[in-house]
Order: sequence, then C-alpha cells, then structure tokens
Amino acid sequence: MIDQQKRIALFVTCVIDQLMPEVGVDTVKVLRRAGYEVDFPAEQTCCGQPFFNSGFQDEARRLARRTIDILADQEIVVLPSGSCTTMIRQEYPHLLANEPKYYYRALRLAKKTFELSEFLMKEAHWGETAVSHQPAPQPNPITYHDSCHMCRLLGLKKEPRQALQAAGYAIQEMEESERCCGFGGLFSVRMPEVSNAMTAEKLRQAQATQTTTLVTADPGCLMQMRGLTDNQPPVEHIATMLERATR
Amino acid sequence: MNAREEILGRLRAGGDGSTALPPVWRSRREFADLAAQFAQAATAAKAEVRRAADWDTAVTELGRLLAEINAQTVVVNGDVAGADWPDRFPAVQWHLVGQTAGDLRAFCATADAGLSSADAALAETGSVILSSGPAHSRMATLLPPIHIVLLPTSRLTSDIFTWTQARQDATPANITLVSGPSKTADIEQTMAVGVHGPKRFVVIVYDDAG
Amino acid sequence: MSVQGSTFPQFRQSATIAIEDVRLQGALDRALSHFREARGGALAAVPAVEEMRDHLKLIRGQTIANLAHHLETFERNAQANGAHVHWARTAEEASQIIVDIARAHDVKLVAKSKSMMTDEIGLNQALAAAGIEPVETDLGEWIIQLSQEDPYHIIAPAVHKTKGQVIELFEHESGEGLAEADIPALTAVARRMLRTKFLAADMGVSGGNLAVAETGSVVLVTNEGNGRMVTTLPRVHVAVMGLEKIAPTWDEAAVWLSLLARSATGQTLSIYTTAISGPARPGDVDGPEEVHVVLVDNGRSQLLNTPYEEVLQCLRCGACLNVCPVYREAGGHAYGSPYTGPIGAVVSPLLFGLEKYEALPHASSLCGACKDVCPVRIDLPRMLLELRKDQVEQGLVGPEALAERAVATLMSNTSLWKLATGLARVGQRPFLQDNQLQLPINLTGDRRPPTLPDKSFRQMWADGEVESGD
Repeated sequence: MIDQQKRIALFVTCVIDQLMPEVGVDTVKVLRRAGYEVDFPAEQTCCGQPFFNSGFQDEARRLARRTIDILADQEIVVLPSGSCTTMIRQEYPHLLANEPKYYYRALRLAKKTFELSEFLMKEAHWGETAVSHQPAPQPNPITYHDSCHMCRLLGLKKEPRQALQAAGYAIQEMEESERCCGFGGLFSVRMPEVSNAMTAEKLRQAQATQTTTLVTADPGCLMQMRGLTDNQPPVEHIATMLERATR
Repeated sequence: MNAREEILGRLRAGGDGSTALPPVWRSRREFADLAAQFAQAATAAKAEVRRAADWDTAVTELGRLLAEINAQTVVVNGDVAGADWPDRFPAVQWHLVGQTAGDLRAFCATADAGLSSADAALAETGSVILSSGPAHSRMATLLPPIHIVLLPTSRLTSDIFTWTQARQDATPANITLVSGPSKTADIEQTMAVGVHGPKRFVVIVYDDAG
Repeated sequence: MSVQGSTFPQFRQSATIAIEDVRLQGALDRALSHFREARGGALAAVPAVEEMRDHLKLIRGQTIANLAHHLETFERNAQANGAHVHWARTAEEASQIIVDIARAHDVKLVAKSKSMMTDEIGLNQALAAAGIEPVETDLGEWIIQLSQEDPYHIIAPAVHKTKGQVIELFEHESGEGLAEADIPALTAVARRMLRTKFLAADMGVSGGNLAVAETGSVVLVTNEGNGRMVTTLPRVHVAVMGLEKIAPTWDEAAVWLSLLARSATGQTLSIYTTAISGPARPGDVDGPEEVHVVLVDNGRSQLLNTPYEEVLQCLRCGACLNVCPVYREAGGHAYGSPYTGPIGAVVSPLLFGLEKYEALPHASSLCGACKDVCPVRIDLPRMLLELRKDQVEQGLVGPEALAERAVATLMSNTSLWKLATGLARVGQRPFLQDNQLQLPINLTGDRRPPTLPDKSFRQMWADGEVESGD
C-alpha cells in the first residue's frame, strides 16, 4: 500500500513527449487527482525500445543505462504506455544481465515501475477517486483496444477496463479486442502495406461496435490507428478519457 | 567421416547426454460408459455407430447393412472370426483374407465393402485400432468405399494413454488408428468425405460378456 | 513451397497482391477463423490441458537435449523391423538418397503424400530431373501441383484456390466437362484419378509427423487416406523427415498426438494416425517390401546450444499461422519457403540463410499471439528479436540503420535531443499542408504520418504549463 504523500516520477515516453503532449498533460492531471505529486525528471528521452526491437542492442543498452540513472532516486515511476513499461520492467534486466552494476538497479527499478491504469487500480484506489470526482455522464459506450504489450506481456486486461468503468464509461467489446493494431514500432514503416491492412481490420472491428470512441493505453497504437482513420471512430488515450470524466 | 557419423557427432556435441524424461502422463479420463463415449466421439467425426446386444445381433445388423448398400463383393479380415461368412451371407462374393485364393489387391480395389474387427478402440476419440498381420489386410480397410468394423465392447479402452500404457512388446509393421471416414476440406474449406479412403466408416459395437 | 527466399521488396510485393485480393482475404479469413475456433473448442475439452502443454514442452526439450541417443535407438529398432535408415546432412544429400533408391528399384512413378520436408529438399525437381514422375496425392497438394504453385499454408495448401479454379484444373487434367460439379463431385473426380496413381506407383514417399524411437516407427497423421495408400500399396516406401521430430517412447508420442491434431484442426485425432514399423513382415498379406527412413539434418543440428534451440520443439501444427495477423494479411507465398507464418519466419532464415530471408525476421509486429497458441510454448517473438540482432551484428542491414543509430545517439543526450526535435519542428513546416505532413518519401503507405505539435511535453512542463488545474 502506497502512502499517498509519496511522489510519482512521470516517464512520459518519447512518442507522447514529441507527438502527443496533451496525453502527458492528461496523465499528470489524472495522477494529481488521484492524490499524488508528479515530478518530471527532465533528462529523460526514450526507454530504448525501438532500437531494441530493431536489433540494435548496444544502442538500447545505452539508453537503458541512462534511463536507470535518471530514475534511480525516484520512489514510483508511472508510464502512460504498456510497451514502454514492458521495456523497463521486463527487458532492462535481460539486457543488462551481464553488467552487475546495472542489473540489480534494473531489478529495483522494475519493482517500482507501473503502467498508468495498473497504478491507478492496484495502488491508487482510483475507484474511490473517480467516484469522489463525481464522473459526469460520458459519451458512451466506448470500446477498448488491448495492446499487445498490455494484454500479452503485462497481463493487464482488467485494470484499464476497471479504470474506465470507475470513471463512468460503459465498454462495448470488439470482436477481437486483443488483435494487434499493426503498429509494431518500425514494422509500421518497414512493411506499411501489411501494417496498414492490420490497422484497417482493427478499425473495422471498432466501427462495428458502434461506439463513440476507441480507447488504448499505448501511444504507439494510438498514433497508428489515428493515422488511418478520420475520427471514425475517434481514437483516444486512456489518460485523456479518465481526465475528461473526472474534471 | 560419413553422414551418419558427422550428424551424430554434431548432435552429441550439442546435447547434454541426459536420458531423463518427465514421468509418464496418466489418463485423466473416467468414462462411466465407454461404449456411449465411443459412439458420441465417433459420430462427431462422421463415423456411423450401431449398437448390438450381442454377437448374433451384430451379425444380423451387418446383414442389414450389406443389404442396404447392395454389397456384391466383400473382403473380410481374419480377425472377425466366429462366423462362416459365405454360409451366413451366400448372396455375397467373399474374399476371406488369409484363406481365399486369388489376387487380394484386385479384389479390394473393386470390393463393395471391407469388414474387420479391431485390436482395441479408444472411447475418448472414437477411434479403432487396426494392425497388419497374417490374415489382416491393410487394403481391405482402405480401398473399398465402406469399411465396417465389428467391435466387441471388451476391446474398448479409455483413451490413447490407457492404450499406450497397456502396450505389449511386439509391434506389427503397421498400426492405424481410424477415427472416421476419409475426409478433406481442401476445396474452399468445405468438408467432403471419401477422398481416398472409405466414404463410410461404420462401427457395430456389440457386448461380449465372457 | 521450395526454398526461394524473401527479401523486403519480395515480401512487400507478394503481401500487397494478397492484401488487394478481396476474394483471397475472405477465404483466408474463413479458413483461419475456423481453425482458431476449432482449436479453442478442442483444447477446452481436454482435462488439465495447460499442464499437458507444459508436459509436452518438457518432453520436447529433454528429447532435443539428447537427440543422438534417441536417434540411435530409433535406428536400431527400425533396422530390427527390417527398415533401412539413411542420414542426410543436407537437402541435396537427402534428395540424392531418395533418387538413388528410386533408380535402384527402377521406379517410374512416385506417389507422394503431403510432406513439407520434400519441399524443403526439392525432391520433386530432383525426381523429375532423373526422369521419374512424382504425383502429389494429398488433395490440396495435388491441386497446387496441377496449377504449378506453392503451398499457401502448412495444413491447407490450397486455401487460396476457388472451386471454379479447381474445376478448371480438373477439367484440364481429366478431359471431362465439370462445369456443374459441386465439391463432392470434384472430390470424387480426385478420388478416381489419384486412385489409379496409387495402384500404379512403384514407390511411395511420405513425410513423418513424428518418429518413435522405442519401436523404430514413423507416424503419419492424415485425414484423406492417401498417407495410408502411399505407405501400403507401392512395393517401396520412403519416409523422409527432420531429425528433430522424434519421441523417445509411445508414452511421449501419446502426449504429442493428443495435442497435435487438436492444435492444428481442432480434431481430437486426425482420421488416420498410422505407425509404420518397417516393411511387411513374413506372413503379412500386404504392405511394402522395403521401407526406407531418411533422417534429414539440413541445419537443424546447428541450432543446438544457441538461443534458437527451442524451435526444434515445433510439432508443425500450424496453430501459429492461424492467429498471426501478419500471415492473415500477407498470405503464405510472401514467405518464399515451405514454412510460412510465425514458425516459418524463424526457421527459414535459420535453416536456409538470414541474408536470403532478410524480410522474415521483420515480418512481425511482435504481437505474441503465436506464442500464446503454440502447444509447446515456443517463444517465437524472442527468436525474431534475436534474428534482428543477428542481422545488425552481421551487418545485414540497409541504409536506414544509419538513421536509427543517429537517432539513438541524439536520444542519449538531452540537449542534443531537444535541439534535434526543435529543428524538426521547424523543418517540417514546408511540408505541412492543411496540418498534414506530405513528405517527399512515402514511408507509411495510406496512413497519415503524425506531425510535430508546436510544443513538446517537456517544453510545456518547462514553461510551467502543466498544472494540476483543479
């Protein structure tokens, strides 16, 4: 149980920092509403995942060491991204397994790193917070995309749904909410035809639910799906949805 | 160094030499009624199952079936002993495997039906087990358009695990587990039966107490 | 499919054709979703199925850790049955062994049941070059043999053909008019035409789904009956298989068989599961006079003691294909290999060359669906990452590697990163039209690339614009 006077360090992710800063802003607001002070260690840039996924392990290690150094003194680290959370929590110890100096710090960092909805539901009593903000009726229902890292690697399927439901959203599930959206990092530019065909299928399934919004907990998926749809449906990050519902 | 030595050398170098294996997997099935489970599973795979109270009723049922399909020529494996087939069904031309002279292959290729028993049958999957041997023809159960099995309930066992765990030393040249009529879904994913093997697979299950 | 290779342009081109073929997309959708549902239903009915999967994984792992021992046991028992056992280091060696057996027996016609290994070793071409006619007898394989194409899927080779296309092929082959034929009628045509081949063939060639060392047996898992035909009717039977597909005893084979058909098609067992333990015995009334088993290495032994050793556990069930969103869109031909889908993306570069198959490690979004359904839980995403690492280490990367490394360098220094992204914010302006980015090179196909907003999050934070706001 975390004492709610502790401070959270936000690892905002390179995609959100540069391409969708409003998601970072929404994340901070939501965490503050949950009763936490939020810091932004400004030296952060990227967790290294795109390079790791492309086989550039040396480059990924360099960024991993750097990230570990930057976050070393933080008590809790929260990320609005399933994929970056996976990178830090699961891959850093593997990547640095041969460097005792960093390996143990990677393990320690892993223990205090959380994805946003995971943190809200498991540590921050979001249910109570959401209720106390008296969630206004929201455009409903919505549909939720289980990103690959969230559902298959982190095992977080309930938590994002619970966070959304606590905020007053009703969820209408897609036929295959767990099917990959087609992003896959640089896969989306190495094989754009296949990538886009996968995204088109995801969007088709989202449209078939006839819901107001397609929600995801991963900025990569968000960027990918937005790129192929003209707001049909609108695609939003879970932080944005939670922020809207608890103003 | 020949190919065999070279390959084995690489495998030995890359292996750990341990012969340890996990403990044998035991069957988790407890079927109250093996015959009923067999019938259900076999029917699901498009086999036809008919029940008979005893051997005589089974043979009567067989007669009905042979009349149904207007069988003129039938090849029968020697494992279905206990009946003098030409006497019982004189209107049919029989080839008794291991007894009747003549070209077995040519007969099987044009026979209307193949008849056999089975060494064993698996209730879980609705499968019968056929072995090659003297008077046990593989072609008899493969070439004709219908394969009929006379199966005594005493040969039923729970599943593949109970069957393998009861195995004896001698292995025949061919053991085939048959779980239904020949089928394919290779054209537009649409199921069709009787591609190469029998189009119909009928099992007459009879009780053989004692 | 023969071993053709898959470069980036090849994969993308082939994938694009598949994606734009609306009819094919529908056929693939139906086939794959049927397999997925059937597998789900079948496994749900198995008591302790997760435990069984773990158990099989243990079996496979431990068997592979001592392949020499189990293969020697197999050889001894197979020979005691009267079978001949051959060892082939390479694809060419394997093909040559089989051609030699055919020649020694004056074989003119070979009837084949479905075997990806025969594709891997290029057997049909080798036989044809020796003046011997190979005929595929698996219905799907025969269809694509007639249309001179490569198989599309590990279990459903002709999934991409329509009934109309099959009618045309059969009409041409049989000389009959088949315009009104329905699928049962077409099946009957195939039965009739291939039956004559079975009965006339001098030699039968099969693959092997698994071998059992305890009794020197090769096991075939089939549905049509052609597997039984080619291993019973001709006087010589040759079974050719990868040397990793071995179970020590029937106890392990039972677990393997319990998961194989269920994972592949959702059947509890396939219609025919056949264990072949040598030629006809004295007293047997039928069966081949000679049985030969060809054990093929072709790069498999090289995988031991590498991060890739686990792929040797593969049962070739095809479950990974049925859930892969990349395979679903790109189709089987894009992989240029007998082995397609997720498992193909890993084993093809490993066995046949990373350079030749440069696209395959990247033909994946690493979604992980394959690992979830694999009966033996092979960590295919991990293998793909390893292959990508190998490509970088071996210098098998394109010019974009320079850009990637440059970005990584920029990201390793906050000031540099701020400078670079600040420049990009300005630099994108000439390319903005109605707030959309129109770059000279299209990297994203039909997808709109994102634009850089005026301020990054870090800039907003530094400017005090991120407050609690409540």
